[in-house]
Amino acid sequence: MRGTARRLGVPGGVAAAVVALMLLAVVAPGVLAPGDPTAIDPAGAMQAPGWGVWFGTDESGRDVWTRVVHGASSSLGVGLAATAIGTGLALVLGFAAGLGPRWLDVGVARVVEVLYALPTMVLALLLVAVQGPGVAASVLAVGLATAPGYARILRARARTVAGSGYVAAARLEGRSGAWVLRRHVLPNSLWPLVAVVTLGIGQAVVWVAALSFIGLGAKPPSSEWGAMLNAGRLYLTTSWWLTVCPGLVITATAAALTVLGRRLGRVAS
Amino acid sequence: MRRPAPVIALSALALVLSACSGSTGGDGEGSGSSDPSGSAQAGGTLVYATGDAEPTCLDPHVGGNYPQALISTQYLEPLVGRDADGTITPWLATGWTVSEDGLTWDFTLAEGRTFTDGTPVDAAAVKANVEHLQDPDTGSSTGYLAVGKVSEVEVVDATTARFHLSAPDAALLESLSQQWTAIQSPAGIERGQDANCAAPIGTGPFVVEAWTPQQQVDLVRNEDYVRPDGTAEPAALEGITWRFLPDAATRYAALGSGQVNVIDNPQPDSIVASEGTDITHIDAPRPGSSNRIELNTAQAPFDDVAVREAFIRSANPEPGIETLFAGVTAPSYSPLASVEPTAYSDESLFGYDLDEAEALLDGAGWTERDADGYRTRDGERLTVRFPVSTNQSVAAEQSLFEQIQANTRQAGFEVVLEPMDLSAWYTALGENAYEAVSAPYTKVGPDVLRVLYHSDSTVPAPSGYFANHAQVKDPALDALLDAASASQDEAERADLYAQAQAIVLEGFYILPLYDQQNHFLTRGVEGVETLGTVSTPTFVDAALTQS
Repeated sequence: MRGTARRLGVPGGVAAAVVALMLLAVVAPGVLAPGDPTAIDPAGAMQAPGWGVWFGTDESGRDVWTRVVHGASSSLGVGLAATAIGTGLALVLGFAAGLGPRWLDVGVARVVEVLYALPTMVLALLLVAVQGPGVAASVLAVGLATAPGYARILRARARTVAGSGYVAAARLEGRSGAWVLRRHVLPNSLWPLVAVVTLGIGQAVVWVAALSFIGLGAKPPSSEWGAMLNAGRLYLTTSWWLTVCPGLVITATAAALTVLGRRLGRVAS
Repeated sequence: MRRPAPVIALSALALVLSACSGSTGGDGEGSGSSDPSGSAQAGGTLVYATGDAEPTCLDPHVGGNYPQALISTQYLEPLVGRDADGTITPWLATGWTVSEDGLTWDFTLAEGRTFTDGTPVDAAAVKANVEHLQDPDTGSSTGYLAVGKVSEVEVVDATTARFHLSAPDAALLESLSQQWTAIQSPAGIERGQDANCAAPIGTGPFVVEAWTPQQQVDLVRNEDYVRPDGTAEPAALEGITWRFLPDAATRYAALGSGQVNVIDNPQPDSIVASEGTDITHIDAPRPGSSNRIELNTAQAPFDDVAVREAFIRSANPEPGIETLFAGVTAPSYSPLASVEPTAYSDESLFGYDLDEAEALLDGAGWTERDADGYRTRDGERLTVRFPVSTNQSVAAEQSLFEQIQANTRQAGFEVVLEPMDLSAWYTALGENAYEAVSAPYTKVGPDVLRVLYHSDSTVPAPSGYFANHAQVKDPALDALLDAASASQDEAERADLYAQAQAIVLEGFYILPLYDQQNHFLTRGVEGVETLGTVSTPTFVDAALTQS
């Protein structure tokens, strides 16, 4: 573990710290912001950032810092859930195509190609249009929309590993298919995916925020970051902090996860 | 989803950025309707950007909502008009008489007037229009209710239309002054609903030329326009481009950058920000109902008056109205708009009292609290579903609803705000899937009370829409409203309407908020007026100014 930490380097360490802070906000938001994210105070509306109101207050006098911290669970949690759905589906599709019979490979490849032909956001919009807006819908939409990408990577990895010399050797030694899968194929295919998935969480957070931004995700008074951006946009010319603060947090999260993902990728190889 | 949303979001940002760099300075006072920095010029095309929903049909007889009234004011005209004082004035009808018993009305039409397709404006045309409104296939609700007491229109001669009523209707002239009962060419109606929805044919100063869905309607000048007083004088403008721009920030930015001349539904902070610039603000509160939250009494929990009172006592909208609307409007305590002389207020019923609300809920059996702090009764959570039409509620109003959500939560209510577009919102109301709703309803005069609170109005009109969302069914109230509608005596009507409003307020059926907001911001144009009927703007005397 210590070796891994050293190989992450300073940027990787900073990124890991940011991600740890975000995870703390998801698990125990009260530690970072003890207030109630929905508590209103019309008399204290539209305060600029300052001492005690680090990110300012919104049009209803709600504290933006408290809302951003408490919004982490919906934004980041939703990103995690969407990625879990995406990778879960990709595991099934990727291994079926990579290790299964040829007809299955061809079949799955066609499905993945069709899904791949649609940009992720378009596919997500389509699913939300069918299901109706909401958090569950956007999680599923982003999850489904990201699955084809992961499935392709997994299929390629699984085929490479399955065709490798050490797998052939193991088979010649008389090892069972299950043993080879557990001992060689799974670990060697999945570890590279960890790096890609870390990148993907950051992307999923952005996509889910985008869906909320256009009014298809979280419902009021949720402090999901994209929804906060959307609500603050109307006051962009007068109260910049309503958009800049949640916007910076989205950027920081996505950037930290990307840096971490890259570093992990390097560690993996 | 009907919104091409990413495009809107991007263009909104682009417009905001362009507005920041554009010049908004000017030497205008921001009041009155003239722009001293420029001089009026004839011709040109005015660009109007609306934030109201795009109509699904440009014929206001079909359905009948405010977006249809806004645009149809430019190409359809009613039988009678109404000035700012509430006096009914001649329009397509030059005069009218009513019989002693109030059951027969004779309308005299101007001679020689024609629709823009050449069809004469005669008694047969008036008859065809009323029949069109009453035909269930038309799917009318607002106009249908407005002519509900008309049993038949008789063609006495070409210029005399005789209305036979099933019961006296003191509000008949007010009803006929609205855009939803405007008169259109019978030949146009004959073309069938699809063709007529795409381009209704009327007598107005403009004519519908083309409709590009999700984008704009192009209107061109009616060269043969005849004004209500009989003089033939077309509008100064050559045409109007009626654009649909659902995003308030985009609309305001487009006005600032000179891409549009008039916007509606501006955010209150935009109205305040425009003061002292070359932008002119027109405040034209709609007549009829105040803007209020209606509580659905047809099902639990609001079938219990104590729960309704608890909700209203804990809502506390006043501080929010003060800050969110920045002095653009004032709180209301009446079912009627402040512009209605017969409006009756009772502020004492709406004071914030959390302790009283808690006591009322305890008394009503909502005694338990669940893990999230919401009250429950027999394991059932005290949930209030609140569908919000994003086409009808500006962002400031949606923020106010969030504040009411936060305030009533203190008492143990779980308010579920569900933002949706207009068609989804109609569906939610039709399915009775709401406990609270804010539904603007505009009608000229206090007869709107009959439309909104009479038990008959819980029955859907042919369009499927019913206006009594609180689902009030009170025989005493019905009797008052019927008597007021039949009475020809102004003082007696006012008294009956005051009694009716007291019943509505004391029954805690509604939480009044403020007048139905109806603001317009204009730039680079003068002579924009709003009608004394349902406060829609008319551009018949508008002219672009050189700046």
